[in-house]
Amino acid sequence: MIETLTFTYPASARVARRAHVGVVASGNCELLLEPSPEPCASVTVRTSVGGYATTWEAVLARFFARHSIAVRLEIDDFGATPAVVAMRLEQALEQAR
Amino acid sequence: MTPHIGDSYAERNARERAQALLDPGTFREVLGPFARLRSPYLAAQGVAAQSDDGVVVARGTLGGERACVLATDGRFLGGAIGEIGGAKIAASLELARRDAERGTPTRVVLAFDSGGIRLQEANLGLLAIAEICDAVVALRAHQPVVAVIAGRVGVYGGMSIVTALCNEVIVTEGARIGLNGPDVVETEAGADEFDASNRPLVWKATGGRRRFAQGHATALVADDMPDIRAAVEEAFARNRSFVAIAHPDFPDPALEREAFLRAYGVTP
Amino acid sequence: MNEERSRGRAWFERFASGGVRVEGLPASVLAADAPLEGLPVRWIAVVPAPQARFPRARAGEMGIDEAFGVAAAVRGAPAGSAIVALVDVPGQAFGIREEAIGLQRALAASADAYVRARRSGHPVAALIVGKAISGAFLAHGMQAGWIGALDDPGIDVHVMSESAVARVTRMQRDDLARIASEVPATARDIASFARLGAIDALFEVADPQAPAEEEYAVVARALSAALRDGSGVRPPIDRLGRAAAIQTRALARRVRADLAAGWDG
Repeated sequence: MIETLTFTYPASARVARRAHVGVVASGNCELLLEPSPEPCASVTVRTSVGGYATTWEAVLARFFARHSIAVRLEIDDFGATPAVVAMRLEQALEQAR
Repeated sequence: MTPHIGDSYAERNARERAQALLDPGTFREVLGPFARLRSPYLAAQGVAAQSDDGVVVARGTLGGERACVLATDGRFLGGAIGEIGGAKIAASLELARRDAERGTPTRVVLAFDSGGIRLQEANLGLLAIAEICDAVVALRAHQPVVAVIAGRVGVYGGMSIVTALCNEVIVTEGARIGLNGPDVVETEAGADEFDASNRPLVWKATGGRRRFAQGHATALVADDMPDIRAAVEEAFARNRSFVAIAHPDFPDPALEREAFLRAYGVTP
Repeated sequence: MNEERSRGRAWFERFASGGVRVEGLPASVLAADAPLEGLPVRWIAVVPAPQARFPRARAGEMGIDEAFGVAAAVRGAPAGSAIVALVDVPGQAFGIREEAIGLQRALAASADAYVRARRSGHPVAALIVGKAISGAFLAHGMQAGWIGALDDPGIDVHVMSESAVARVTRMQRDDLARIASEVPATARDIASFARLGAIDALFEVADPQAPAEEEYAVVARALSAALRDGSGVRPPIDRLGRAAAIQTRALARRVRADLAAGWDG
C-alpha cells in the first residue's frame, strides 16, 4: 500500500518558478515543486515503502532549515534513499530559482 | 538538461528525448507533470504513481513542420501503458489525423520504450492499445508514422504491435523488439525454449540489427542524437505511405530448436 | 483443450458449416463465407490444431501462421461482405521461433487487416465465445466495431493468462481477487469487461459449446442487426462514449478533452 505523509515548515523566501525533477523508479523519486503564497513549505510524500516517517521528517527538516522557501512540494517515492531524496531536493531548488 | 556522453539518445529520459528530437527551442509539453495525471489504480496495488503517467506528449516542429513526439518513460514501470498514458497516445494520434484532414498536417514520432500493457490496469490498457492500433492505421493513410525504438527497454507486447503498424521504424543496435519478453517466454515455456539470461541470444534474435536485416526496421543508426534526428528527417522525406506487412520467409518451424535457429542465422 | 472441445470451432460450425470454406489457410484458422439472414458474412475462428507446424502454437494460440492466416482471410473478404471474428484465443504463442521471426509483425498484420477492412466499409463484429487474451485478442476481435460475448464463467478477458499473472506477480488467488474487486480493469470476467463499455451485447447460453436452437437464434439476430445498422464500422475509440464507460473510463475521457484543448497551445 501507499503511505501518505504530510509535513509543514515555516518559510518566507520565494522561488521564481516551479520545478519537476526525478522519476518514479526503484530507488528513486519524483518531485513537483511550486511557489506558494502561504508563508510555509507544505510537503506531501506518497511512498510505496512504508514505515520511514521519521527518516522523511529528518531529511525534509534539514533541507527546509537551510532553505526557507515558501513552496508546495509533492514527492512520489519508490524507495529512494535519504541521499537520493536530498539530491532531488537540491535539483528542484536549482531549477526553481 | 544533464550532460550526455557522445550525445546518446538512450541516456536521455523520455522528456529529454522528445526535446532532442524536435527542432531546438520548439518543445512544448501538453498535459505535463503539473497536470498531475497520476494513475489512481496503482496505490491499491502498492505501486507509486508518476505525475505524467509515464507518457510525454511533446508539440513543436520537426524540420520546420508541425510535429508531435509521443515518448514513453521506460524507467517508470517499464514504460508500460495504462489508462492515462494510453489515452494520451490515442488522443494525440487522433488529433494528428484531424490535422491532416484539415490540411495542416502534424508529423508524429512514436518514441516508444515500453514493456507493453501495464498489468496493474490490464484491460484499460488493452482497450487503449486497440484504439492506438486503429489510430495509427488511420493516420498512416495520410502520412508516414515514424517510430524511434532506441531506448533501454525496447518495445514488447501491445506496443510492439503498434510499432509494427508504423511504416517507418528507426532502431539502434541496443534496441529490442519482440512480442513476448525473453523472461516471459522463459516463464511460460521454460529456459530450454528461451534462456532470458543469455544476453547475446536475446539481441541476436530480437535486437535492432536483426530487425533491420529482417526489414522490420527501416533504418539502423548509432545511438547518437544527430544520427537519429537525420534518420527521422529521412523517414519523413521518403513520405512512404502504407507498406503491407508481408508473410515473411523462415525455416521449417517443425525443425528442432537449435536447427531452426541455426538455419535462421540466430547463432549467439 | 482438445480439438473437439474448442468453443471457437463449435460456434464456427454453427454459423458457417453450410458455407464455402476459404482455402489455403493453416488448419488452425477456419474461415468460410456463409450468409446470415441473407447478408454475406465471412466467419473467422482460430482453433487448436495438434498438427500445427509451430510446436508452441498448437492449443489455439495466435502464432505466426494463425495471425498471418487471419490477416489473409480478412483481406480476402469479398466486396460487400461483413466479417465476424469468433473469439476463443487463450493468448499468443510463447516461443523463441516466434520471437525470432517477429510475432508482433504477424499480430500487427491481422490487426491491420481488420482495421482496414472496417475503415473501407466492411462491417466487422466479434463474438467472444471463450478466452480473449492479450495480443491474440488485439489481433483477432478487438478491432471489430461491435463486440458481443457469451455471459458465461468460461469467458476470460485479460492481458495475461491467469497462470502467468500468478507467476509474474507472485500473488495468491485471494490477493488477485481482492485487487480485481478494487480495480475492475484487472478482473477477468466478462461482466467486468462489459463495465468498461467494451461489450455491446451479452448472451446467456446454457452450454457454450452447444447452444440450444433458441439461444443460437438470439445471438444470430443480434449479430445480423449489428452488421446492418452501422455498428460494425465504428472505430474502437467510440467505446469511450458508451454509457458504461462514462464512469469507468472517466480519466481517459478527461485526457482526451484536455489534450484537444491544449493541442495547439
